[in-house]
Amino acid sequence: MKKIFELRNVSKSFDGETVLDHINLDIYDNEFLTLLGPSGCGKTTTLRLLGGFDQPDAGDILFMGERINDLPPHKRNVNTVFQKYALFPHLNVFENVAFPLRERREPKAEIAKKVENMLSLVMLSNLAHRRVTSLSGGQQQRVAIARALIGHPKVLLLDEPLGALDRKLRKDMQAELKKIQQATGITFVFVTHDQEEALSMSDTVVVMSEGKIQQIGSPMDVYNEPKNAFVADFIGESNILDGVMLDDYRVRFSGQTFQCLDAGFDTREAVDVVVRPEDVDVVPVERGQLCGVVTSVTFMGVHYEIIVDIGGFKWMLQTTDFVAVDERIGLYIEPDAIHIMKKSRYSGLYGDYSSFSNELDELSDDADGEAEA
Amino acid sequence: MSRRKHGAQWALLSPYGVWSVIFLVVPLAFVAYYAFTDNGFAFTTENLTRFFTAKSSVTNADGSTREVYTYLLICLRSLKLAAISTVICLLLGYPLAYIMARAHARTQRMLLTLIMIPMWMNFLIRTYAWMTILQDTGILNGFLGALHISPVHIIGTEGAVVIGMVYDYFPYMVLPIYSGLAKLDVKLLEAARDLGCNSAGVLRRVIFPLSLPGVLSGVTMVLIPSISTFYISQKLGNGKFFLIGDAIEGQYTANNLHFAALMAFLLMLALLLCMALMKRLTNRLVYGGGA
Repeated sequence: MKKIFELRNVSKSFDGETVLDHINLDIYDNEFLTLLGPSGCGKTTTLRLLGGFDQPDAGDILFMGERINDLPPHKRNVNTVFQKYALFPHLNVFENVAFPLRERREPKAEIAKKVENMLSLVMLSNLAHRRVTSLSGGQQQRVAIARALIGHPKVLLLDEPLGALDRKLRKDMQAELKKIQQATGITFVFVTHDQEEALSMSDTVVVMSEGKIQQIGSPMDVYNEPKNAFVADFIGESNILDGVMLDDYRVRFSGQTFQCLDAGFDTREAVDVVVRPEDVDVVPVERGQLCGVVTSVTFMGVHYEIIVDIGGFKWMLQTTDFVAVDERIGLYIEPDAIHIMKKSRYSGLYGDYSSFSNELDELSDDADGEAEA
Repeated sequence: MSRRKHGAQWALLSPYGVWSVIFLVVPLAFVAYYAFTDNGFAFTTENLTRFFTAKSSVTNADGSTREVYTYLLICLRSLKLAAISTVICLLLGYPLAYIMARAHARTQRMLLTLIMIPMWMNFLIRTYAWMTILQDTGILNGFLGALHISPVHIIGTEGAVVIGMVYDYFPYMVLPIYSGLAKLDVKLLEAARDLGCNSAGVLRRVIFPLSLPGVLSGVTMVLIPSISTFYISQKLGNGKFFLIGDAIEGQYTANNLHFAALMAFLLMLALLLCMALMKRLTNRLVYGGGA
């Protein structure tokens, strides 16, 4: 596979605050790559460096093997779909899409043909002469995509393009973007903080936090084999426990010893143990490897989400069988449901469900941050 | 909207309604009434005829004389000087507004204050100040003399009148353009660069078209007072460049109220037409789209 973009030890800071810290990343031809992370993780900055809107403080950006650190945006064969679309309010739909072609002074007939084709690709043919300010969010989104694609860029950069759309429309647009990417063969670099979106659309997911890349892999890899507690927590739901590797294939946590599929750790090495909520079987107490008291039950439609207190650690489980609050239940965990990770600086920060939602964590983090600032 | 809410709105609006009836509608009706009546308040179109047919002789540069339509000449001269002033204001004001809009917030505030400070001083005093600067023995020529440059004669020329107009009305050009440019979304500029525009292209295809509403309101706000001004031309033009405002003032002080009213009425019509045109232009150029 051909490399399109290469980031080599790229760093960037704003006002003395490091936003990107020695990023190394390869982006391949025809790939749908997603930069995933919470706000402030550096994903948008990475995208802006690729687009040419900012320059790295250190390191190199290569495009098809050539160093392009200081190449301005209009000389890059790369286009961007901006977060709030950034459509030109003084131009109608047709002229917005024709904008890059007019800049190249292409013949009028040519422009008309290309724009019509592009508008039919994004299903806006009948709105060509409407003002962009009169369009709905989803329609504006389509105009932005058409405008970015019409110049046949080598890479399309998308900065949280679906953030402003409602849930159902977002699902449609996800499918459509994927379809457009496959039809055009253009490399997509997609920025989002929505892990579900990242998993469902991408060939490659790049998980970022605090200006560093935490993990690069296929959606299955980052879900099933998270590299550290941050990735395990950010992607999907995870119970993350302190454990000790007794020897290969044997791990001890929550006061019990479990069989697992991981090997290659030092004897008695301290590790993080990830157990996904959907991989735990709820069984009668006498058959359980672990026992605990149910502290809350939430009906989620397809399943119940239950919180179980086991020795002071709150586990989150997803089960289709009803259990009652205050009931004592047993937990059974298959060896392939246990994933072992090396300790990292994120160990101990995530994985307990005493504060239930991530959102509450983030809110209290934000409040702390503001208090400091 | 409910009837009650409607009623409340009218109640709130009524003071302004009363105000504008007393101080705008009634006086304007009087202007129109005076314009088409004679001293005995009988209907007449004589004032109108006089405006379009009155002739006088002017001396050419070579000493010969020629007959001209007095008031049409005055109108043309007013229009010419106002147009020149407006163009100069625009050429000076646009770059300044652009620089201001792109500047650091503190610099923006400072520049804004600098532009507005002269507006705190009385208009007449500012014009007098220009007289002392531009006189043949004034500050400017004193300065040039100190530099051993031969003095220039400015006062009493059309140039002096234009300088006065530009100085007085410059803020009215800068402020609307500035406020338009300052509101411009930076993302739009990035999008234009992303789509292949260099800096000149961004200016031509995005910044300028989006600043047009500001430009047109600036042009309106400079053109209209410069057309109707009378004081600047009297003081800086030494009364040699009679403008339409001067003509109205002259007739009025000569107690020729009916003819003065007619000229005021025609000027008002012309300016209203001008404003309507500007508004149409703004709508067409900026918000019309159109392929």
